[in-house]
Amino acid sequence: MKTLFILSTSLISAIIGMTSIASAANAPVGWAVNAIGTLTIVRTDGVQEQLQGRKTMPLFEGDVLKTDAGSQAYIQLKQGVNVALNEETTFKILSRWQKDKPTTWILRLSQGEVWAKTAGDGPKLFEIETPVATAAVKETEFNLKVQPDGQSILTVIEGIVQFGTAFGTCPIRTDTISYGVRGKKCTKPAPSDAKAAKAWTQTLVPPTPPVQ
Amino acid sequence: MMYKVKVTELAGTLALAVAAGCAEVETVKAPVEIPSRIYTANESSNDVSVIDASTFTSVGNIESKNQSTHDLAISRDGRRVYATNLASGRLSVMDAGTMETIASIYTGQRCHVVALTNDNKQAWVANIGDNTISIVDTDTFRIVGTIPTGKGPTGLTFSHDGKYAYVSTLGDKTVDIIDTSTHQVVKSLSVGANPHFLVVGPKGYIWGTNTGGSDVYVIDPSTQEIAGTLEVGAKPQQIAFGFKGMQGPNVYVTVGGTNKVVVVPADPKNLKVLEEIQVGEGPNGIWANPEGTRIFVGHDKANEVRVIDTSTNQTLATVPVGRKPIRVVVSR
Repeated sequence: MKTLFILSTSLISAIIGMTSIASAANAPVGWAVNAIGTLTIVRTDGVQEQLQGRKTMPLFEGDVLKTDAGSQAYIQLKQGVNVALNEETTFKILSRWQKDKPTTWILRLSQGEVWAKTAGDGPKLFEIETPVATAAVKETEFNLKVQPDGQSILTVIEGIVQFGTAFGTCPIRTDTISYGVRGKKCTKPAPSDAKAAKAWTQTLVPPTPPVQ
Repeated sequence: MMYKVKVTELAGTLALAVAAGCAEVETVKAPVEIPSRIYTANESSNDVSVIDASTFTSVGNIESKNQSTHDLAISRDGRRVYATNLASGRLSVMDAGTMETIASIYTGQRCHVVALTNDNKQAWVANIGDNTISIVDTDTFRIVGTIPTGKGPTGLTFSHDGKYAYVSTLGDKTVDIIDTSTHQVVKSLSVGANPHFLVVGPKGYIWGTNTGGSDVYVIDPSTQEIAGTLEVGAKPQQIAFGFKGMQGPNVYVTVGGTNKVVVVPADPKNLKVLEEIQVGEGPNGIWANPEGTRIFVGHDKANEVRVIDTSTNQTLATVPVGRKPIRVVVSR
């Protein structure tokens, strides 16, 4: 009887454990919350879903998000990062795991333009990769645009962004702009009207309160 | 009483000083030596087998925390092992000292091979499904750049001077030559069917296998042209370099279709088969010790590594490893 009890307890514990691992793997990493025009979400199995207007759609690791000409969208990542997608933008949601560290969430931006702002308490582990550079942030607001040739234009609206290419990394601060080009270190930060860089996001008013 | 308090305070101060001293010593202490080890990437068991390179006995396994562990690169100091994982599209970073995976980085679809730059500051990963090379900073583990290549990049190596990277492409049947100072493809050489493995050898020649065919080819780095080709048997896989006594350097090619290791002079002007060593089922990965007196041959069907004495061609040891070992690397 005692053996049966132990076996049952072990089995239940194992099932609970398995469920929690599965839940973690299937848990959304954020939500798409607004689209002017259409936001297309391509899941890892190739299935496409579309968001139009102010609705909520869960996002998972591996999803590819796309806007076409005339479309913009707004998403919120779970750990407190808000991201707006301008027209003709494509990125993939990725992560990096490191032992004894929180997961770093990554958007791999292959084309287009995004604005991002961290929100809530504490620093975030968040990066945006472009074909030639990576912008790593903790607490900041910035705009990043990728040209067809991969050239990446970073404008920091508030805070500091570590902007790195394969040839070096530069800290880019509030109200400055830097360019990342293939085969070169990112340019020295130059003064810029940072607020103008995010003017395109004004039509994408973030919903309140944020999705939890 | 007063005396006792003073002693206690003194003891506390001493303890702090000792602790501080210890902490200081800790920061300058040399890292613990890791003995020379053989590592195999096991595609079906999703792990890396670790073998002591002097006793040829198993030390253990490192879980990759990913799927379809395929290729390996090892840092010059032997402390880091980098493993691609085809199905996951991720690079696993392993600590050779603690024998555990310490990071997992998404690089791209069907990431196939990894090579470290000569300064070990970057790991370049070829992604077959994305037709790209991802550049991983080995300090921050961030992707700091992506280089477009031909279709299906499968092999990757750097020139001796580090100025060029060579990338074989499965779909285009070429080797793309990338200028590492500009990250631009500066030349594309047509090779053969299903080119896979690439490695830099003696005198800086780049050696490659056409795994879909039966030949190896050599690229002369001074001209960036094909300097020679040689038929070695169906499904040539990987290449290592060694000596047979006074003779050498020689090229050792694993040939999957014949279960042999074919030995060729490492001279592109004198390409011929010197001898063939019969090995086990499915020879694939191969590596030589720094002296070139031993070759370590991974067998992806027999799930074993054979240690072969290059002077006699005798098998010195056979060590079981994980399922479907694809790549073998050995630390110094």
